[in-house]
Amino acid sequence: MRKADVLIVGGGLVGCATAWHLARGGAQVTLLEAGDIGMGASGQNAGSLHFQLERRFLENGEALAEQAARTAALSRLAIDDWRGLEAELGADLHVVMDGGLMVAETAEQVGVLERKIARENAEGLATRLLDGDEARAIAPYLSAGILAAGFSGDEGHADARAVTRAFAEAAAHAGAILRMRSPVTSARRLDRGFEIACADETLQGDRLVIACGAWTAQICARLNLHMPLFPVALLMNATERTAKGLRHLVQHVGRRLSMKQTHAGNILIGGGWPARLAQAPDGTFDPRRRPEMIAASLAGNMRAAIDTAPFVAKLNLIRSWTGVTAISADQLPIVGEVPSMPGCWVAGGGSAFTLGPTFARLMAQAMGGRAAPELDIVSPARFEHLNSFMG
Amino acid sequence: MRIESKVERQAPFSLQVEGETLRAYPGETIATVLVERSPVIGHMANGDAQGLFCNMGTCCLCMVTILPEGRRVRACLTAAEPGMEIGLG
Repeated sequence: MRKADVLIVGGGLVGCATAWHLARGGAQVTLLEAGDIGMGASGQNAGSLHFQLERRFLENGEALAEQAARTAALSRLAIDDWRGLEAELGADLHVVMDGGLMVAETAEQVGVLERKIARENAEGLATRLLDGDEARAIAPYLSAGILAAGFSGDEGHADARAVTRAFAEAAAHAGAILRMRSPVTSARRLDRGFEIACADETLQGDRLVIACGAWTAQICARLNLHMPLFPVALLMNATERTAKGLRHLVQHVGRRLSMKQTHAGNILIGGGWPARLAQAPDGTFDPRRRPEMIAASLAGNMRAAIDTAPFVAKLNLIRSWTGVTAISADQLPIVGEVPSMPGCWVAGGGSAFTLGPTFARLMAQAMGGRAAPELDIVSPARFEHLNSFMG
Repeated sequence: MRIESKVERQAPFSLQVEGETLRAYPGETIATVLVERSPVIGHMANGDAQGLFCNMGTCCLCMVTILPEGRRVRACLTAAEPGMEIGLG
């Protein structure tokens, strides 16, 4: 029986980054990944680095917006983490942080932007409001219909396919063992620590990190834990390459849109348009199968992109793909140690590209004995009532 | 470049690529014409030379512009036609 200090389930961004931090801190780490590095949401997302409050937090009432604003401390840390990441990993990840615009097309949306920016500023995020002409002065590609934009100088994007791989390589270099094609077949708590098995090996670890995105709830269930993370399916798109001209991350405060230009010149377009999750024969959702594209999502996503940046209409769409991520019951990420199961850590539930490197660093720091109070706002403790009858 | 022995072709026609007059045979794609002109059909973002990659419509790295209307097409899936004007930008 092989033993490790920490077992990690999930070879996505958070799992690989956590493995890296722990291994270089001297811990013996083994990571189990059911498929291959970054095959889930870590490799399917479009690589936005977004630090303005997300649209989804602004359209579901004041209470949620207020709560989400309190994650600003994590965003401030994430900005520093991303700015240092390429140097620290010694890898070219196409990190671009030239700023991001969240645009508004109606007077009502401008009002939402104003309230959003007041919240962000109160939490120490340096976003500011630009009127339409000011926005077009720095982003000439914006439509004449844009009335205002929230601007964050730190937003941008990175190559999602490169980032997780770089974390995995750094983790392996630091001594972590990363096992691919090793789906977990059983998981249980021991008197001290945890035992995890895959087809050909059983491992024991003092601690366990569950960071497997849409599969997190399933792994937690094997440990007799409820974890309210639900799979959701999204649409992403890429246009043909075009001359460099869109240097910002562009989002919309009132419509689902995120847009950026890759290093190679393609425009990536997404922003939370749904795809249809596959269902297993027993009626449950099956996150392993590719979600089905919804034509109305594609049309709506393209319309939002063209209305915001009209030059996009001239480009050919060369690829659309669907991917599965996980969303928590209250929309905020779930990151931290499960209070009713000491030693068991969970990380998932959205924004985990932008905030993933920070989640990983803070979890490793807290496991190493140095408290990470920034994670309190996203702790799984807020869902412990779900586990109060779990025996 | 083309196979010459035991091949019968119809009469060639001419077309323009970046203002250069080139020759093609009926049934050939624009990509064929580009590759005969030069194995380098474009450049990657880092400046590296780029050739024809998948040649089956998937990678979309061979997109060219049909002039004067400006329509963008995949060179590997689009038949060359007499008198065509093609831009590589």
